[in-house]
Amino acid sequence: MLSVKNLHASVGDKEILRGIDLEVKAGEVHAIMGPNGSGKSTLASVLAGNGKFTVSEGSVTFCGRDLLSMPIEERARAGLFLGFQYPVEIPGVSMANFMKMAVQEQRRYRGEEPLTASQFLRLMKEKSAVVELDPKLMSRSVNEGFSGGEKKKNEIFQMAVLEPRLAILDETDSGLDIDALRIVATGVTKLHTAENATVVITHYQRLLDYIVPDVVHVLYKGRIIYTGDRTLALKLEKEGYDWLINEYGAC
Amino acid sequence: MEGVDWMRDAAFTPLCGERATLAADRVYLLADPEKYAVETAAGARTQLLIVHTRPASVTLSVSVAEDAELAVAEIFLAEAFADFSIRQHGQSRCRMTTVELTSANVKYGIDLDGAGARSELDGLFLAGGKEHCEVAVRVNHNVPDCSSRSLVKGVAGGDAKGAFRGLVYVAPDAQRTDAQQTSRNIELTPTARIVTKPQLEIYADDVKCSHGAAVGQLDDDAILYMRQRGLSEVQARRLQLEGFVGAIAAQCGVEAVRDRLYELIVEKLERM
Repeated sequence: MLSVKNLHASVGDKEILRGIDLEVKAGEVHAIMGPNGSGKSTLASVLAGNGKFTVSEGSVTFCGRDLLSMPIEERARAGLFLGFQYPVEIPGVSMANFMKMAVQEQRRYRGEEPLTASQFLRLMKEKSAVVELDPKLMSRSVNEGFSGGEKKKNEIFQMAVLEPRLAILDETDSGLDIDALRIVATGVTKLHTAENATVVITHYQRLLDYIVPDVVHVLYKGRIIYTGDRTLALKLEKEGYDWLINEYGAC
Repeated sequence: MEGVDWMRDAAFTPLCGERATLAADRVYLLADPEKYAVETAAGARTQLLIVHTRPASVTLSVSVAEDAELAVAEIFLAEAFADFSIRQHGQSRCRMTTVELTSANVKYGIDLDGAGARSELDGLFLAGGKEHCEVAVRVNHNVPDCSSRSLVKGVAGGDAKGAFRGLVYVAPDAQRTDAQQTSRNIELTPTARIVTKPQLEIYADDVKCSHGAAVGQLDDDAILYMRQRGLSEVQARRLQLEGFVGAIAAQCGVEAVRDRLYELIVEKLERM
């Protein structure tokens, strides 16, 4: 589904990704871990198409298409979803209005009929239940005045509505208390199918108690220095990153 | 009056002559006034819609009587110079919405002359091409225990210019004044220019006053966020702009004109 080869990206003169290779197949859950500043969020941003970063080398194929040549919205319509680490507040734009436009645009792209008003309402109600999001938030401005937990639930709610093929969740667990974490993680697990895939970017193992990854990668200084199964995350929790960095981090 | 047929709606009661007393709970319409004086009857709850459809130099005065409640909506569809003075008596309330959809230069002078008076003003100017919009708001707290709130938003595109000047004056014995003045602006292009200058002039000591002003661009992070959900860049920019200006229409005190006002604003944004 996603094939990243030798990806290099920089912001200004500073190279942050220095040759990433990553293969994600349908039905898989990947976790990307690593110390602060290793490039985890940059990888997510580059895949989503954030213009702040320049790709200098490498290629990314998403469902058979050259992802890097696609504009941001086309990546989204083709089924790539990014759960933002810091969801943006948009004053004056209601959640309902925003989601309606997003849903209708994505349906149009796939050649599907637009949803009727009542179908849309039903969809909002059904999907807000997935993450126990208060349906009253639909009439509020996007993320404005939402608590930290509500913002993150809102990201997973949007993911539930849009049903992406590949979801990249950038530190969705940061700033969540244990109840919100459980709700968010359970939501993600419920949405997982054999046809889609999830990449979870996280600093902490605790999220991976709920979202069980098939593959765990460790990112360090812009490279994936080690890949293992879920036991790797447990080992990192106990022993930290130093042993890995000492052995594989030199370059 | 091309394009303004909606004003002939029976929901509006047209005003003629040079002065009027508003007493009934209805929406009075003042179309293309040049010099006009309005007063409300004591305790009246009433609404006034003012529309400028041709270039003019305008002088308006409104007196809001004791305990009266007046909602005003003023819409500029043509270039006008307007000087608007509002005098409020004790316990009165005046809620003003003003929207400049073309070049215009408008000055509001609000005098709070009776204790317990409350003034609210929401303003919006949309300047495109080579247009030039100016809004000045001066609120005089002349007696104690009054409150005022004003929020003026501006959007400039093309080579347009916009300016906001605000002043909250609090007289020496106007204790327990509660005043807020805010100016928020978006420049859509590098050649658009909006200048904002809010000021406080306070001579009483027991007051709660605040003011704030900002000039910025559309929020790139918000546009990225919306595009990541599948909206095109054009849609994302439009949605954000509509969000910025939409509340002005939604909160208009003259309810009968809200939807029309919103349409006029959106039409103008499309042309910017």
